[in-house]
Amino acid sequence: MKNNIMFELREASIHCGINQEIIKQFIQYEWISPVDPSELKLDEEDIARILLIWELKQELGVNDEAVPIILHLIDELNHLHLLAKNKQN
Amino acid sequence: MTDPYKTLGVSKSSTQDEIKKAYRNLVKKHHPDLNPGNKQAEAKFKEISHAYELIGTPENRLKFDRGETDQQQHEAQAEQQRYWEEALRGDKRKRKSTFYNTQQNGGRYSHSFGEEFVGEDFFEDLFRKAGHKQTRPTKGTDTLYQMNVTLAESVLGAEKVITLPNGKNISVKIPQGISSGTKLRFKGLGESGADDYPPGDAFIEIIVTPMKAFKRVGNDIETEINISFIEAILGAEISVPTLYGPVMMKIPAGVNNGSRLRIRGKGVQSSSGSGSQIVEIKIIMPKIISPELHTEVRSWHGRFDYNPRSSTPRNEKSEKQYNV
Repeated sequence: MKNNIMFELREASIHCGINQEIIKQFIQYEWISPVDPSELKLDEEDIARILLIWELKQELGVNDEAVPIILHLIDELNHLHLLAKNKQN
Repeated sequence: MTDPYKTLGVSKSSTQDEIKKAYRNLVKKHHPDLNPGNKQAEAKFKEISHAYELIGTPENRLKFDRGETDQQQHEAQAEQQRYWEEALRGDKRKRKSTFYNTQQNGGRYSHSFGEEFVGEDFFEDLFRKAGHKQTRPTKGTDTLYQMNVTLAESVLGAEKVITLPNGKNISVKIPQGISSGTKLRFKGLGESGADDYPPGDAFIEIIVTPMKAFKRVGNDIETEINISFIEAILGAEISVPTLYGPVMMKIPAGVNNGSRLRIRGKGVQSSSGSGSQIVEIKIIMPKIISPELHTEVRSWHGRFDYNPRSSTPRNEKSEKQYNV
């Protein structure tokens, strides 16, 4: 089951070990769509996505232009994977 | 313990850059988020991460090569291993889940495609969405306003206040020598951005209104000055208006109608150079020729042979420029 814990930006920053400004930038670029955009609160999915972006950028050297493309491909891949799994079941 | 060099496919003599490159290539291939549901890739990724942890930095590599495996390093390796094991198991209690795991039971991100999407328009959708949703956002809209300034203000520089439609006043510093059509940018004074997005910029386009007596040509200012035929013959020193105030200018004796005299430093002073004021001479005859003048010229005419049409079709002097 998915947990419902929500994090404020500051907490998310500590959680991920990534500066708040960087996370804000991810949100501004629409790479992250916070679970609660009005209060700028993030959930587990957002945190995992932030870490994924961070890995893409830091570990794999992906540039800012390529990040949204990769994220989009991953989202589609996950979606198709889920569809395939549901069909199997 | 497996050999990290072997895991990463590098030799012991490889440089740090080569190790990093090999690591990146392997991560690209085996990252769990890029291989959803592939257990082999997950295991391989864990192994690669662990290997890179051991030799990814010169310090760690040195320790590993010396066979030093201190307690701290062991703990770090064990923690790293635990982290990936738990993350790859999809343990939701784990603090840091992989993104893939968060999407397996109805994630928001992977559900943004809707039920009808089955992948036929994969690339079309990719570029449509990449262009629409996930590219860098635009900030608030930039706004453009126009401001009229006189030629004198544009040449000398000025400071004016403009009131924006939202009631905000902006003090606009007009730099010396600005040209018509130049846009001055005021960062963050455009329309507000949505949510936390930054506002756009305000641009003020400068429109230089012409003046009757002065005309700007490049960095020069062109004017005309009327002189009498007597001043033209004898020469004179007259006051000439410039944008910087009147200056005294010497008219050389024998100057012709249409001659252009240059007053240095009285044109446009800009970063592209310093211009002059070019004064074009207009010789103006008296409106009424008095009988005395008529008589004098008639008597003089017989004594002085002067035919302006005899030498050249064009008057040489009219093209000469005088520097004052």
